[in-house]
Amino acid sequence: MEHLGWGLQMTVLGMGLVFALLALLWGLLTVVLKLDREPEQPATREEVAEEIEQALERAEDKVGVQVPLVPTVHGMDADLVAAIMVAVLRHKAERRQVAAAAVRTYWPGSLLYASRWVGAGRSRQTRSWQPGGR
Amino acid sequence: MAETESGDKLQTLRAMRDRAVRGGGDKRIAQQHERGKLTARERLALLLDQGSFQELGALATHNVSEFGLENQRFPGDGIVTGFGKINGRRVAVFAQDFTVLGGSFSEVQSHKICRIQDLALESGIPLIGLNDSGGARIQEGVRSLAAYGEVFVRNVMASGVIPQISVIMGPCAGGAVYSPALTDFVIMASDSYMFLTGPDVIKAITGEQVTAQTLGGAEIHTVRSGVAHLATDTEVGGIELVKRLLGYLPQNNNEDPPQITPYDPIDRMDEALNALIPKDENEPYDIRDAVAMIFDRDSFLEIHPGFAPNAVVGFARLDGYSVGVVANQPAYMSGALNIDASDKIARFIRTCDVYNIPIVTFVDCPGFLPGTDQEYGGVIRHGAKIIYAYCESTVPKISIVTRKAMGGAYVAMSSKQMRTDLAFAWPTGQIAVMGAEPAVRVLYAKDVKSAPDPKAKEQELIAYYRERFFNPYRAADVGQIDEVIEPLETRPRLVRALEVLRTKVQQNPPKKHGLFPS
Repeated sequence: MEHLGWGLQMTVLGMGLVFALLALLWGLLTVVLKLDREPEQPATREEVAEEIEQALERAEDKVGVQVPLVPTVHGMDADLVAAIMVAVLRHKAERRQVAAAAVRTYWPGSLLYASRWVGAGRSRQTRSWQPGGR
Repeated sequence: MAETESGDKLQTLRAMRDRAVRGGGDKRIAQQHERGKLTARERLALLLDQGSFQELGALATHNVSEFGLENQRFPGDGIVTGFGKINGRRVAVFAQDFTVLGGSFSEVQSHKICRIQDLALESGIPLIGLNDSGGARIQEGVRSLAAYGEVFVRNVMASGVIPQISVIMGPCAGGAVYSPALTDFVIMASDSYMFLTGPDVIKAITGEQVTAQTLGGAEIHTVRSGVAHLATDTEVGGIELVKRLLGYLPQNNNEDPPQITPYDPIDRMDEALNALIPKDENEPYDIRDAVAMIFDRDSFLEIHPGFAPNAVVGFARLDGYSVGVVANQPAYMSGALNIDASDKIARFIRTCDVYNIPIVTFVDCPGFLPGTDQEYGGVIRHGAKIIYAYCESTVPKISIVTRKAMGGAYVAMSSKQMRTDLAFAWPTGQIAVMGAEPAVRVLYAKDVKSAPDPKAKEQELIAYYRERFFNPYRAADVGQIDEVIEPLETRPRLVRALEVLRTKVQQNPPKKHGLFPS
């Protein structure tokens, strides 16, 4: 119990010293700032107007600077990339709709993928009548 | 000297060709443009791949020397014919030129069309006609009429052998209407019209007053008469439709339609399909939603969308392959079959059959539409067309009962007996001879009458009948349904079934031709 009481006393003393130094520092900085402040002079109407005009000129010249930077994809504007992508997908869909050559798996009339079974069968279907048993 | 002579002759040829290209002359072309219409050559330039057109008969002119025609000779005689390519596919084309004598149909025009028809048939390639003609050239008399006949006979000979597509881009009147009507598909573009007898004749004979558009405009023929399959507001739209339509069709009846590189996973299963059929059996739903979810994304091209909306037919793709879709439309007249729907379905089945396109049928039909209108109109023979078309067809056929399949409509709509290869049903399927209420009235009339509370008894029997018959399992039990599937399984099931059936060959008995109910 003796040690605990002594420990608490030391803690309060240490912390108090730290806070006291911080308060002293704060007070010192406040005094320095007050002493260092330039005397305030009220701006004239003309000065304010001129300042606004200058600000407007700066804004007109540098509109782009005020817009957040556009994200890019491999150095290209992301919006442009998105537009190109939509156009490509649309073009692909249109090509699919008309079964364009680029999306066909084989050339019309190609024998490469023709099934002999189907070929012979269709021949029988369209020439089912053989006169004279031929 | 020879070089000079050759040079002169080349100059002459170039001058003649230039005149042919200018059709009826700059003034007529300007007038055509003022009407918001394109010339025949401009239309062909839009239709065909760049630089693929080979013209035939550009310098042909008529020999008539009466009625002042001797001074009106134009190279080509009002029609441009030749070969070309659409998306790399060879096609034969003709385009009537309205700037030359109103595109009036002459003997020379007929010769030119017949020549291209013969070559198209011999080469096994599609024929596309762009019609824009005021009618027969009256000055040529019977020769002009006979000329129509020459074209008609070739339309018939080519029917079912090569795809024939007509695009109406202006007037098409009198005998001229029969050539498009004999072709496989009729597309009406812009403010075109078709009729046998014009408003003036009708007014003179019957006193009825109509305009060309209300008599035979695109809306009339795509919605009421069913003469035209598709319509667009613009000529360019009509040309685009030809290209799209051709994408589903083969070059001829011996070949397969083009397959495109598959772009939609075959095992894609859309959960929304399982929730498509409403709980209330009388609540409608749009079968086109099911079609959109089952077939390849954005691949459905509806044919005859305005005509008989209680049935839906059209082309779609499954794993890149062209398929024909036939369906009842529960969102309109509960999907009941009537005269027009029967005609629409039968015609489409036969189209798919001749061009080797498998048919997938979705059934949700409470039966044939009752009523004197239908019976007097011959719904029996019209309904018979569906049966005839299904039975006659030899392409792979798959049916899916989504909800109601009642009585004769069940049999007609691609039942197993219609030579259907595979019959599926969703768990919501109701396959029965008739609805519960009329069935109970027929089967249990005495029981209901003698019951202490007839109404309660009737409700009890209706519930019993529903439980017993309003499901697909009894049909599956007797082999009328091959498999009851979850709706979301439909796509992978269809893809795999068609994969097996792709080499299906079926032969009909030898005959000259059947007697199709008409």
